Amino acid sequence: MNPRATNDPEPADKWEVQLRKGCLELAILAALWDGKLYGLEILRRLESDSDLIVSEGTVYPLLSRLKALGLVRSEWVESEAGHPRKYYALTAAGKERSREMAGMWARFSSSMSKLLAPLAKGK
Amino acid sequence: MTSVTENAQQRIEAYLAKLRGRLRGFNDAEVREVLDELRSHLTDKLAASGQNTPAAVDAALLALGTPEELASQYITDNLLARAEVSRSPLQILKSLFRWASLSIAGFLVLLGSLTGYFLGIVFMLCALLKPFHPRTAGLWIIPDGADDFTISVRLGFGNIPAGREVLGWWIVPFGLVVGCGLVMLTTRFAVWCARRNRRPSVLSRS
Repeated sequence: MNPRATNDPEPADKWEVQLRKGCLELAILAALWDGKLYGLEILRRLESDSDLIVSEGTVYPLLSRLKALGLVRSEWVESEAGHPRKYYALTAAGKERSREMAGMWARFSSSMSKLLAPLAKGK
Repeated sequence: MTSVTENAQQRIEAYLAKLRGRLRGFNDAEVREVLDELRSHLTDKLAASGQNTPAAVDAALLALGTPEELASQYITDNLLARAEVSRSPLQILKSLFRWASLSIAGFLVLLGSLTGYFLGIVFMLCALLKPFHPRTAGLWIIPDGADDFTISVRLGFGNIPAGREVLGWWIVPFGLVVGCGLVMLTTRFAVWCARRNRRPSVLSRS
């Protein structure tokens, strides 16, 4: 008897977390596609448009990495709130990478959908 | 205009001061940029919550993680960026030393990576030095007793070791392949560990 089969949903949860983590870079680049946003706006966009709830302690280091890779650029802009905010925007390389990743995602998603179709019917 | 009480500001600055001390390897401008961005973020968060109570400040800081956790995230993300750009073992090791100073996990990854790089470089050196020290460089099996022996990679300095040389001139291609392989595997190991270290921080709303 498989001991996990009885009462341990943890592996599926872990898999979902890993899946979502893997998508995070694409999600952030996609959030910036329409224009520049600052960190908190990116977090809110991810939450509202993709259901991804990202830890704040994750998104800022990741933005820093994307900037080091030349995929995004940043600028400080004075806000009406009275303090400056750091806005991020896609660079040309970032747009190119976003297109590539979005294409890969679409192809992968499409092929997986075919494979998973029988599972959905059997629901 | 956003107003942050003096007490809230002190708590934020104390947090940022701890973080500053842990962002090793970042230059002054980079550290200032990180701290300014987080200060701006926290100000916005408090303004959005409409509260400046100690509990609200603590909640905003908790969402970022402890200064150690956040610094660890910056350092491992920095390592991943360096690895994507150059894959240079020196760059990887620099980041690993910083990570090691923040966590046991980082320390263990550093130990493993140092071992991997060291062995890889020794094998490559052995292969490269064999033509210059044909009688003393190579892979040797040295008996330690009746049933025991030591495998020793010799770079060719010193006397001819007691024991038996194995591989002979085959150490040249073998050392180069194994050495390069170990260096590449160690880099992959370090990058894999850095990715694993990133906290499971992407959740579903449901």
